Amino acid sequence: MFKSISRAVSIATRLTKTSPASAARTVEPLVRSALCVPNSATTRPFTRSIWMMCSNGTASGYRPRLFTSKGVLPSVSCGCGGLHTEGDKAFGEFLNDEIKEERKIQKSNTLPKISGGWELDLNGTEAKLIKSLSGEKVTVTFNVNNSIPPNVEEEPEAGQKPTENEPEIVSTPNFVVEVMKQSANQALVFDCHFPEDEIGHGEGEEESDIFAIREVSFQPAGETDWKETSYTLNTDSLDWALYDHLMDFLADRGVDNTFADELMELSTALEHQEYIKFLEDLNGFVKCS
Amino acid sequence: MGVVIRNLQHVVPVRRARLRKDVETLRHILGIQKFDLGLICVDNCKMQRINNIYRKKNTATDVLSFPFYEDLRPGKIPCGLHRDDLNLGDIFLGVEYVMQQCRRTSLDFHSTLTVVTTHGICHLLGYRHDTDEEWKEMFQRESYILAEFNRLTGSRLEPLSKKCS
Repeated sequence: MFKSISRAVSIATRLTKTSPASAARTVEPLVRSALCVPNSATTRPFTRSIWMMCSNGTASGYRPRLFTSKGVLPSVSCGCGGLHTEGDKAFGEFLNDEIKEERKIQKSNTLPKISGGWELDLNGTEAKLIKSLSGEKVTVTFNVNNSIPPNVEEEPEAGQKPTENEPEIVSTPNFVVEVMKQSANQALVFDCHFPEDEIGHGEGEEESDIFAIREVSFQPAGETDWKETSYTLNTDSLDWALYDHLMDFLADRGVDNTFADELMELSTALEHQEYIKFLEDLNGFVKCS
Repeated sequence: MGVVIRNLQHVVPVRRARLRKDVETLRHILGIQKFDLGLICVDNCKMQRINNIYRKKNTATDVLSFPFYEDLRPGKIPCGLHRDDLNLGDIFLGVEYVMQQCRRTSLDFHSTLTVVTTHGICHLLGYRHDTDEEWKEMFQRESYILAEFNRLTGSRLEPLSKKCS
């Protein structure tokens, strides 16, 4: 997905970079682009209607700024306040295709459920999974932004066909587990992550846990900001026995390997959903629809 | 490092602290506390793959050991080693396989896991069961270890009795 969007951006960049030269040579392509009416306007010279469109509606006594304002701009405004270049047009067409393709591979329009009685609360790219059990409230928070590890596979050489079965994109966000006891004014907070070697695509024998705890600390209840003055237990140099008890503690509250796998599926679906939404927003922005 | 536990599967819930405690007891019985040891819990699919790669047997199994010292005399603990060489190797525990066995025989999963781990540690210490003689020797060692384990913990564990090659 990201490969293709970066390609689209580079195409658009190339088009916009080359446009000023062609604009300097001839006016007509510029008009076509500005009017967005390719058939009827292909051979039409500048007309009054264009002057009206590009000025503030006054047809006389005022020299429109089409040529005088920014001579090097590749295009003109259609009245929406934005530019429309040939690059934008190509960009929009590309985005249409891209959105269609992404919709085709989207597994479902609804997000997968997490088993075990978790409730999902979404706020843009951030997701919260909440569960109450026996006087405790467990909240798991993650953000799908930057949750896809970079693809280590090499790009196909020039002229070489890309492989048909591209590796599946999997979102593996860091996630924070907060355990609140009813009577306590602080939450026990676990900063967790998916170790990278477990999520590789190869056939190698991965030997990391599906998920791991990175840090543990107490944080004041109900506060979103991380309190740096709270002691933070780093698991890098931790007694393994304590680490195992912490993992069992999480498992007892429903945060185990099954949960981690399901979280990965949910995050992947949400990331894809947000990606498609972003493409649609981008398309709308480019087209100014 | 001591004992490193990795749980790479989600089919069976594994109590890591319990497993560690039992393995620490086994290490104490065998006098191998200073040696590192890896325990990796995997599902049938992964176990089958490993079994196929390393033993050319395309089936899941309960335990596979990968000794750091490959030609130890059975029961002979390596000595006079540098810190980096204080390692016995890794044991892959087929926890899904073990759980299936336990369901069939109504045995406790975590107790059985201790028995299976004992078997795996014996392999790391050079024991084999390719011949009847070797099997007998290994079985006797496992019986001793588990008898000591039972004495220390009040458990009633028995060694793997079924001959496997």
